[in-house]
Amino acid sequence: MNSRTLVAAGLSAIATIAGASAASAQNRVKFDYWYGLTGQLGEVMALHCKRFNDSQTRFEAVCTGQGGYDKAEQNTIAAFRSRQHPTIVQIYDAGTVNFMLSGATYNAVNFVKDFNMKVKWDDFFPGISNYYATSKGEMWSFPYNSSTALLYFNKDHFAKVGQNEAPKTIESWFDTVRKIKAGGHAETGFCFDFDTWMPLEQFSAIHNLPIATRNNGYDGLDAEMTFNKTKFADYMKDWKKLLDEGAAKIQTAQTGKTILQAFADGSCSTMLSSVANHGVMHSTAKQGLNWGVGMLPVYAGTERKNSLVGGASLWVMAGKSKEEYEAAAAFLDFVLSTPEVKWMPTVTGYIPITQSAFKALDNEGFYGQPDKQGREIAMQSLTFTPPTPISRGIRLGNFTQIRAEIRSELEAAFTGKKDMQAALDEAVSRSNGILRRFEQTFRGKQLP
Amino acid sequence: MDRRATFKSTWLAFALIAPQLILVFIFFYWPAAQSLFWALTLEAPFGGATQFVGLQNFETVFSDKLYWNSVRVSILFALSSTTLTMVMALLLASFVDRQLAGYRVYRFVYFWPYAIAAPAVGLAFRFIFAPDAGFVSSINKVFPNLWNPALDGLDAFILIVIANSWKMIAYSFIFFLAGLQAIPRTITEAAAMDGAGVLRRLWDLQLPLLAPTFFFLLVINITESFVDSFGIVDIITGGGPARATDLMVFKIYSDGFKGLDYSMAAAQSIVLMVLVVSLTFVQFRYVEKRVHYA
Amino acid sequence: MIERTPVLNFFTHLAMLVGIILAALPIYIVFVASSHDFQTVNIVPMPLTPGYSLVENYTKVWTKSDFGTKFVNSFIVATGVTIGKIAIAAITAFSIVFFNYRLKMLFFWLIFVTLMLPLEVRIVPTYAVAANALSPIQGVLNGLFNAPALLLGLIGIEGLPQVALKLPEWNLLNSYTGLILPLVATATGTFLFRQFFLTVPAELVEASKMDGAGPIRFFWDVLLPLSKTNMAALATIMFVYAWNQYLWPLLVTTRPEMTTATMQLQKLVPGPLFGQPPVWNEAMAGTLIVMLPPLLVVIFMQGYFVRGLISADK
Repeated sequence: MNSRTLVAAGLSAIATIAGASAASAQNRVKFDYWYGLTGQLGEVMALHCKRFNDSQTRFEAVCTGQGGYDKAEQNTIAAFRSRQHPTIVQIYDAGTVNFMLSGATYNAVNFVKDFNMKVKWDDFFPGISNYYATSKGEMWSFPYNSSTALLYFNKDHFAKVGQNEAPKTIESWFDTVRKIKAGGHAETGFCFDFDTWMPLEQFSAIHNLPIATRNNGYDGLDAEMTFNKTKFADYMKDWKKLLDEGAAKIQTAQTGKTILQAFADGSCSTMLSSVANHGVMHSTAKQGLNWGVGMLPVYAGTERKNSLVGGASLWVMAGKSKEEYEAAAAFLDFVLSTPEVKWMPTVTGYIPITQSAFKALDNEGFYGQPDKQGREIAMQSLTFTPPTPISRGIRLGNFTQIRAEIRSELEAAFTGKKDMQAALDEAVSRSNGILRRFEQTFRGKQLP
Repeated sequence: MDRRATFKSTWLAFALIAPQLILVFIFFYWPAAQSLFWALTLEAPFGGATQFVGLQNFETVFSDKLYWNSVRVSILFALSSTTLTMVMALLLASFVDRQLAGYRVYRFVYFWPYAIAAPAVGLAFRFIFAPDAGFVSSINKVFPNLWNPALDGLDAFILIVIANSWKMIAYSFIFFLAGLQAIPRTITEAAAMDGAGVLRRLWDLQLPLLAPTFFFLLVINITESFVDSFGIVDIITGGGPARATDLMVFKIYSDGFKGLDYSMAAAQSIVLMVLVVSLTFVQFRYVEKRVHYA
Repeated sequence: MIERTPVLNFFTHLAMLVGIILAALPIYIVFVASSHDFQTVNIVPMPLTPGYSLVENYTKVWTKSDFGTKFVNSFIVATGVTIGKIAIAAITAFSIVFFNYRLKMLFFWLIFVTLMLPLEVRIVPTYAVAANALSPIQGVLNGLFNAPALLLGLIGIEGLPQVALKLPEWNLLNSYTGLILPLVATATGTFLFRQFFLTVPAELVEASKMDGAGPIRFFWDVLLPLSKTNMAALATIMFVYAWNQYLWPLLVTTRPEMTTATMQLQKLVPGPLFGQPPVWNEAMAGTLIVMLPPLLVVIFMQGYFVRGLISADK
């Protein structure tokens, strides 16, 4: 039978391949590492593994991209339930609470002690470590790829309306956006999508506005959302006004052009985006695009606070062998060593996460390089003030789902299906529903 | 079904059906039973202590207006894409069945889309119909904002119906064609002799003979529109904008697997299962009875 | 065919041409998009003639996505599913149609209902099963063995020893078995075979019985030869179905060397995170690469396919 021959041939081919690769990797202790990043950044993750594997002979990291931060979290959970989980997993900011309450992790503080790791916790920037720390200040995961949000602006468009630097206040930013559109200098003055990270989370942090009670949830699972009653609501109404005037435009992957593409091809004058895209912009901007970055603007008269860290941290999972943990410890020590922390910003837009790496980079003139100019602004933004109980971060259960609810309501409001305030009220009440359900699911558990 | 001649050996019948039963038990009924269990509990994402909450999950589901929104969207989707698919497929099949010059080429091309994976169809259609890039965007250059599935829920809904139907037409087409070609030429020719024109023959003669095929395709298309649409929605719209394409299957997946609320998703899948099974049952009871297998 | 109907013929041709455009245009656009460089593919509207970066895009996407390994995997899975499914569907439908026993309708419904609840909605428990395929059996055995103890417990008699059976674990994750078996379990093919078997004339069975042939002889010597074209149709369906599987492989495989070609689709367009721009030309090249094998199978099998269905409906 033909098909049988085919199967046999295929199977033997696979067996040969598997055998060959097994032979070459003998004697090395392997451990699994799952990461979420995709695209260019995913390639950097794979490269980082390779750097580790090339650096020594005892251990080997088997690194697998899961096709997205959310998928990395979902797959890890499904795998954990079946005891097939990896030793280390990259989990994004929004997944932190789920992992803290999971009982499925090996806490970083203990892990560092148990395996004599070299990590120095106080070398991390406080804005980064505080975000991931427990309310008692203990680190349960290892900060890894980190970013914060910036305003990207088109210098040429700005110059045409007499502006030479990034706007400091939201008022002057919107003013410029309107002038650019009115003067016909660009197709649109400001493009945005429905991601909540920039408008809600970062905006609230730098304005020191709570998005939920109980210090954004750090103090307990009984927090309630409040963002529909803060200045955030006015901010969104101002966006809507710009949109209705035709000075701003919605750009999502679904419209065929993301904000990044629209900014890169010069059709859009400003956008809010992660500093992680600083590198991406350099590789995708159209020839001669003259652009710069600035800190996220604040409303006039606001006492500005630090912006939030975004990105992901590395969690060590429970239930693995001592050998695997030793390998994992070696890996973590490697990727968190100063040379490697310095390497990350050279291949991506991510920021150096430790103060020593930042200083070293700064001394070497990294921030003076033409294609790195502006990166230091991210550091200034992140360290603008010491984190307040509000600007420290957000610790809400099932935050992924909450983001999705807010996003849907924003979609409804910006596409004119709903009044903005009504949409935000609805988003708050739905988010509270999620929080209550989460609280009930974890009844009797305390946030660490 | 019981009219036919049969064999008597019961043990053999059991032995023959056993492998399939074991497989569906392991990969279907056991997980479904687990879903039912979860539907009555509050399941923490990582497992561990589960609390029994009775019907609370169902109450939450039924009192959620967004759930009813997804029910509405799903039914509309099933109706419109099944209708579009079957009408188009039947038209094309009856054209090709006339065997005019070049009909093989037509048949050949019409069947292509069947081979293509739903996510691939999704990717292709998302690119083609994107309002700012790709192909259809040129329409927006002439009539701004005429077409925007990213922002307009109706456009997005139309887009997933088109993509799903485009993929499903091929399958129905080939079955209709096979059905038409199975009708002996002598019958149609005899009718033609009696003076029945092409259209009359189609209506009076061929369509009634297609009834079994029609029934089979109806079941398959409705099921597929509930089931196979996942890949298309996931890649084209992600359920948006503002939940305009939030099909039940997609909602279950996003509440459960993405939102990590296994219990809520489990309750929804139980509802979906009951719904679809009863739908199929009705189809079997009332539609198959009227269909005659030759 | 029989009479001359020039006007109707003209409209038939016209409609069929429109049909061709509708069916082929999307594929053509995908092809054109895959032949341009990154800048050109983003021009609005995109040019409708192929560009010059065809080879470059395909080579890039082929190596970047490691399609070599993935194609081997996809072929193994698709072939395995096809063979397994035909075998199981044939004997199951045989049992349902040609035997008469009390549980028949129940079994039919038990199998048929599985058509209705897609994998997506029971993904997590199914995943757990894949991690240990013997766990359901273990669950049932434990239930049976402990039933007396539990029942007695209900009426107040405690203290009977509870048996805790421990079957070995059978992990299907990252294996071909795990990719193949759950897909074989679905009922699509069974339904198709049933529809076909129902059309087999009763006289054939009677004649066979008259010749003194038992059910197995009948199945082997009469039914299977009759089903040849039908099987070809089902083989086509199952191959395409298995090749195009998306969510299940995504879940059960975590090791790159076990992944399939279709899974790669979602990696071609980066997630919405931070709005990274999709590289459409490469994504479309990848799409075309992935859709090619099932397309070829369909093209080659089409003759059988139609014939298989014709005999099915007679």
